[in-house]
Amino acid sequence: MKFIHFADAHLDSPFLGLSFLPSDSFAQIQKAPLKSLTNIVNLALQEQVDLVLIAGDTFDSYQPNPSSQIFFAHEIERLIQAQIQVIMIFGNHDHMAKEDLLVPESPFFKLLGNREKIETCSFTTKTGFEYDVTGFSYFANHITSDLIAKFPVKRNCYTFGIMHAQEKTSQNSQNVYAPFKLSELQDLNYDYFALGHIHLRQVLAKSPLIVYPGNIQGRHINETGPKGCYLGTIDEQTKQTEIKFVQTNPITWMQKEIELTEPLSKTELEHRIVAQLTATATTYFCLRIKGADLLSEKERELVQDNDFWQMISAKLEHESQLVDVRFVTDSHLEVAENDRKYFMQAEKEIFATDEFARISKDWALKDKYTDDLAQSDDFVEEVKQLAEVKLNSKLKGVNDEIN
Amino acid sequence: MKLIKIKIVNFGQFSNFTIDFDLPNSDIDVFYGANEAGKSTIVAFIKQVMFGFHLAKHSSAFFEDYKPLARVSPMGGSLFFENDDHELYELERLYASGKGSKLGTLTVKRNNQVVPENIFFDQIKNINGGFYADSFIFNQDMLAKVGQIQQSDLLERIYYLGAANSDKLLDLRDYFAKNAGTLFKKAGKNPPVNQLLKQLQDQENHVRASENEFVLYQDLSKDYKEQEEALNKQEQKQLELQTKYNDLEKIQKLIPSYEKLHDLKQQTKPIAFDSEQYQSAQTLTMQIENLRKKQEKIAAKLSEFRQNQNDDSNEKDLIQKKPEVLQWQTEYHNCIQKEAQIKNDEQQLLTLDPNLKQVAGFSQEQILKLQDDYRNLPNDKTKNEAADNSKPNSVMLIGIAAVVLGIVLLFIARAFGLLALALGALLLLSGYFQQKQQKNSDQAQRIQKVRQKRQAFENYYHVNLAHFDINSLINDWRQYQVQQQKLESTLVRKKEVHNELADLAAQISQIIGQNVTVDFTSVLAALDQLSKKLEVARSQREEQISLENNLAESKEELHDSNIKLKMIFARAHVADFNEYQQIKDQSEEQKEIARQIAVLKSNLQDDLNQLEDFTKDKEKSTQKLSKLTEELSLIQKDIQQTQSAIAEIKVKMTALANSTVVFAEKQKLANLRTSLKNLSADYLSDLVVSKWIARALDLASNERFPKMLITAKEYLRLLTNNRYNDIDIDKKLTVTRFDGKKIKVQYLSRGTSEQLYFALKLAFVEQIKDQINLPILIDDSFVNFDDTRVDEINKLLHKIAQNNQVMIFTAQTSLVDKMQLKPLTLTKGTKNV
Repeated sequence: MKFIHFADAHLDSPFLGLSFLPSDSFAQIQKAPLKSLTNIVNLALQEQVDLVLIAGDTFDSYQPNPSSQIFFAHEIERLIQAQIQVIMIFGNHDHMAKEDLLVPESPFFKLLGNREKIETCSFTTKTGFEYDVTGFSYFANHITSDLIAKFPVKRNCYTFGIMHAQEKTSQNSQNVYAPFKLSELQDLNYDYFALGHIHLRQVLAKSPLIVYPGNIQGRHINETGPKGCYLGTIDEQTKQTEIKFVQTNPITWMQKEIELTEPLSKTELEHRIVAQLTATATTYFCLRIKGADLLSEKERELVQDNDFWQMISAKLEHESQLVDVRFVTDSHLEVAENDRKYFMQAEKEIFATDEFARISKDWALKDKYTDDLAQSDDFVEEVKQLAEVKLNSKLKGVNDEIN
Repeated sequence: MKLIKIKIVNFGQFSNFTIDFDLPNSDIDVFYGANEAGKSTIVAFIKQVMFGFHLAKHSSAFFEDYKPLARVSPMGGSLFFENDDHELYELERLYASGKGSKLGTLTVKRNNQVVPENIFFDQIKNINGGFYADSFIFNQDMLAKVGQIQQSDLLERIYYLGAANSDKLLDLRDYFAKNAGTLFKKAGKNPPVNQLLKQLQDQENHVRASENEFVLYQDLSKDYKEQEEALNKQEQKQLELQTKYNDLEKIQKLIPSYEKLHDLKQQTKPIAFDSEQYQSAQTLTMQIENLRKKQEKIAAKLSEFRQNQNDDSNEKDLIQKKPEVLQWQTEYHNCIQKEAQIKNDEQQLLTLDPNLKQVAGFSQEQILKLQDDYRNLPNDKTKNEAADNSKPNSVMLIGIAAVVLGIVLLFIARAFGLLALALGALLLLSGYFQQKQQKNSDQAQRIQKVRQKRQAFENYYHVNLAHFDINSLINDWRQYQVQQQKLESTLVRKKEVHNELADLAAQISQIIGQNVTVDFTSVLAALDQLSKKLEVARSQREEQISLENNLAESKEELHDSNIKLKMIFARAHVADFNEYQQIKDQSEEQKEIARQIAVLKSNLQDDLNQLEDFTKDKEKSTQKLSKLTEELSLIQKDIQQTQSAIAEIKVKMTALANSTVVFAEKQKLANLRTSLKNLSADYLSDLVVSKWIARALDLASNERFPKMLITAKEYLRLLTNNRYNDIDIDKKLTVTRFDGKKIKVQYLSRGTSEQLYFALKLAFVEQIKDQINLPILIDDSFVNFDDTRVDEINKLLHKIAQNNQVMIFTAQTSLVDKMQLKPLTLTKGTKNV
């Protein structure tokens, strides 16, 4: 038996951080998750799989726009026509009712666990191999209870679990996506647990397999690398399962870094950036410039300017784009030796969670988005890097003045 | 730094004034003096010698403008300090009007050696005059500012004591704070981050609105289904109505046929009619008609024949003359042949004897004369005479010819004929006279010329005497004459025949009514024609007879036929054929009716019942039909409406299905978020850097501020005798009363606020004492202190004085008493104490 497992298609979701791109790029960006889904369906048809598991967040919203719905329905119909069993659950983004789906009724399409009911379905492949699938769909954007406890004991046949969920953490505020403990899943001992929600592809456990396939198309710079689906093959005798990742995304996000050790001219800088951003397919690059404090303020402004990125992008292959530049400074702060310890201590204190929250409170309270940002480690780190670069750059000026 | 001596060269009202402080165990110096004694002048002097003269150009926290006196230049003096290491510093600052810096020229001496000024100022952390005045000088003006004291001001001053380049770091801190402030303000609208936040919120609404597409689409597809169902129902109903309508309409259309059938049925009646008999009658009638026509024709022909029957006996007589004519023809031919024969013979004669020719025409007498002449001739000379005489006159000949021609012409053209006759007669007359004349002249010649008679003879008769044989000539002449006679009789006969013919031709001409030429061919042809005509007449007569027979037969036949016909008419009970014709027509009409009935019946067969119903109440049925029409048009309208509604929905659905609005709005939101994120990072990094610098300075200044606060609280408790026990110094200064109530500084009593002021400033001085230790100058600051408070401040001053030199300038004797110290008394006009 062969199956495909994917999740987090987020069909109508935007890409972050690309406001400066020309509008034709946006058409490509908009179509990227759709293209990835088509590629997955093509793979299913080509491999003649028996089953396709869709582990939630197919749509970015519980009110997906009709065009995405129609597109999705069209792709599912291709699978149905090939008599490939499709099992889908809703995630925290597309927490809709089954009735809202535009996919036509078919014995080959099953929306599992409508309205958060844990549901088990039994199927038999064309070769007569029996299997069960157990799972549930979101009906609200949060599920705080641990639903694993309610999962049934497996029968004496191959059993898939399917769930859109996040591992339990120590922070209760984050335990709103059907929190589970890995050990619980392992204890269930289903043959394959198809997870969704985490966009980073990862295998939580190998025996039995507990798998996040990641999303099918990266949407911002923190979703780097190839994206796609898992293609699984089950030995029908031993029930051993092999999985293989298949990349289907049309656009890959990637981080690259250059390190500056001495000041350099604008031309040299461009040259070094272009040389670093090599691509074999359409890639959106985020560039980290280490030693950015070696750049003058004007150079820094230039390098952070969209027009500069576009100019660099024009020199890249496969329609790749430079979409972000971040500065990293690793040199010591240019302050008197005796005072350095105070600055380091101060930085530590300032960026301590509570203190940063206090400092950024006025701003963070303005909007849910700013509040989320304030709590995002990535963002705080970005601010920290920027602060370091800014301060050090100024301190250099200070010292230059003094010296 | 302990101030041990003041030496004033010229300052304010002082000139050459020196104060030595020599108070070994106490660091409190009390200066007592009434108002205007110069207490504030000394405070100003101390500050200005250290930090520069204040020549009224800059605003100052307190009154310190001391202009140099014109005649007592230079202005200034010296301060003498001793530090903890017992080094002696002299700071001399002098200003001569118009020379050097307006701050005055400072000379620093360490142990009487001139040194760079920073040797001294490094030991007081390079503070400026403002710092010194704010921190170390207490007077009424400064007390009034207690409400304005802020943490930042205090911190600022403390930071001076911390890291290297503190002032620059403070600038940086302010720079970043200011930048942050331009990017975002808590309650702002215009800073870019605030603006982006607003846009973001708007965009979130847009996204929510755009996500409405989903609901819209669902509603639309629900609508669509409903409309489709409605349409189906309507179409079903339309179909039913249409069927009903069609049935009824069909019936309605059949009504005329049905009515016709009805009419036709009423028209039917039995008609006795034998078509065979009719046929016979018809045939007979036709026969009779034909016979009648035939008879008429025969009668007509007969009457025609009768008209044409003339007496043709003349023609018959003429025809019988044909053999006679043929005989005439032969005879005529013979005459012509005979004539030719005679003429031929005559010619032979003339040829045999040339002289004959000359005499051939001579008459018997002429011949005799010739004979005589010849005989009278000596010789051959007589021969010519006769010849001469016999010669016919040519003119006469022409005349004859003309006469003949005239006669002929008379037949052809009468005018020419008469002309020719007249001419002929004229010529004949003239010929005659000519001949006579000539004869007369010849005779005369013969008489005259006898000798030449022969010649004359020859000439006269035109004969050649040499070959002249009179006998033969006469013989020939006789023969010739015989011939001539024969010719004449022939010609006569010919003429007679011709006349006969002409006569006959005239007769024929008369009978046939056309001119017949007088020649045999024509006459014979005319005769043939006549005989043919007679033949025709004969055959007509025969035909007439046959026709008459025919007519008789026909009449008999007609009679028979009439009898037969009448019998048939009688049998058919009709008078005549017309009547019979009518009966036949009626019969055929009935047949046609029967046929039509049959056709209609077979057509209407299935609908007959309905037709009967329909016609029973025709009005009702018609109403029913028009009602159906109405209903149909209504349902048609409904269908059209539903269809257009469906089309509309479909268009909307398609538009939604192709819409990228949601994505576009979300992408716009994402873009805004990115912008906000980037700008926020910018803002936060600025803010954080400023906080970071502040915090680092704080750390570098060894956390002096918290410590200072502790001290200040302690001092406040001391000064207020525990009425106030906490200070909250942030943006607004508040104190906490013993009962826990927090009171803002502006609501404190004047006395309490002054106590707070003292507590804070003294705590600060206390806090920085190890870094900056300068004399504390208290200039008449206790005006509002009642006795109890004076006690308390006394205690505090003594406490402070353990670390700092305190100089009190006062006009209050009670305070001086309380201090239990010997004051330096300043009086107006004091020159030296």
